[in-house]
Amino acid sequence: MDKTQWLLMLHIAAAFCLVGGSTAAAVLNALALRSERPSEAAFLLKLIRRSLPVIFAGVLGTLIFGVWLWHDLGFGFGTGWIWAALVFWALASALGGRGGRHQAQVREAAEKEAAAGDTMSAELRARLRDPKALAVNYAAGVATLAVLVIMIWKPGS
Amino acid sequence: MIVADFSRPFWPLFLHVLGAMTTVGAILAVVVLSYAAWNRPEAAFLRRATFAALLAAIPFYVLLRVFAEVMYSDEKDGFGGKDPTWVGIGYITSDAGILLLLITIGVGYWWKRSEKTIAGRIVAVLATLILLLLTVAMLAMSGKWGS
Repeated sequence: MDKTQWLLMLHIAAAFCLVGGSTAAAVLNALALRSERPSEAAFLLKLIRRSLPVIFAGVLGTLIFGVWLWHDLGFGFGTGWIWAALVFWALASALGGRGGRHQAQVREAAEKEAAAGDTMSAELRARLRDPKALAVNYAAGVATLAVLVIMIWKPGS
Repeated sequence: MIVADFSRPFWPLFLHVLGAMTTVGAILAVVVLSYAAWNRPEAAFLRRATFAALLAAIPFYVLLRVFAEVMYSDEKDGFGGKDPTWVGIGYITSDAGILLLLITIGVGYWWKRSEKTIAGRIVAVLATLILLLLTVAMLAMSGKWGS
């Protein structure tokens, strides 16, 4: 394997960490939404933290090895599809962070209800299924998907 | 080889990669859930959640495997009758992965119904094995090992 193949392998491995970790977090979040008790929702939302190191490794790795490949493969500074991918990468990271903060707040509320009788209140149910928070999560997923589309399609190259 | 990667048709490659990435994610969720259940064998919701995550992996795995086959049939003539090492690794790991996934789903169902702790631990070990297989396949295919 030459240097370019190593960089490509590490870049793709990082992309797998990013999308795979995000998918795992989405699965755990979807399971938490269907929970019958606050203690269950709190536990499942807490488990999302186990996927965070994988996601962070993916976020950093895609950027570092992606920029390195950009230089190594000799693409120009003005290569549009790379800039477009970077914009969507930043958007996905920002939206993912916002969605994560909402999940942490809901987990704290679920832990309080779990300690006070462990019966799901209408308010907690509504916070778990908050349409705005779900929209942010979906938008983060779409932005991540857009990066993948651009990276494989490479429009204009 | 890099140039060949860039000239592939978009849809089969996109759907294959998307299937592979989401399969990794679903199996990662199974691993996280089943190891969390290791120390909480009384938690019925973790058994149900693990089984649901296992079922979620099926459509993703189908996407991965079907579009791998589509790409292989398009590109096999270019290999000159002898598949590169990375293609062989991809086939072995994906076929073994399907078998392991089906066995894990079976054990997961047994765990859900019987509540036996050992079944949950078998699910955790099998899911870890699937994740390792997927990682090897991903590294071999993205690094084009042996080409």
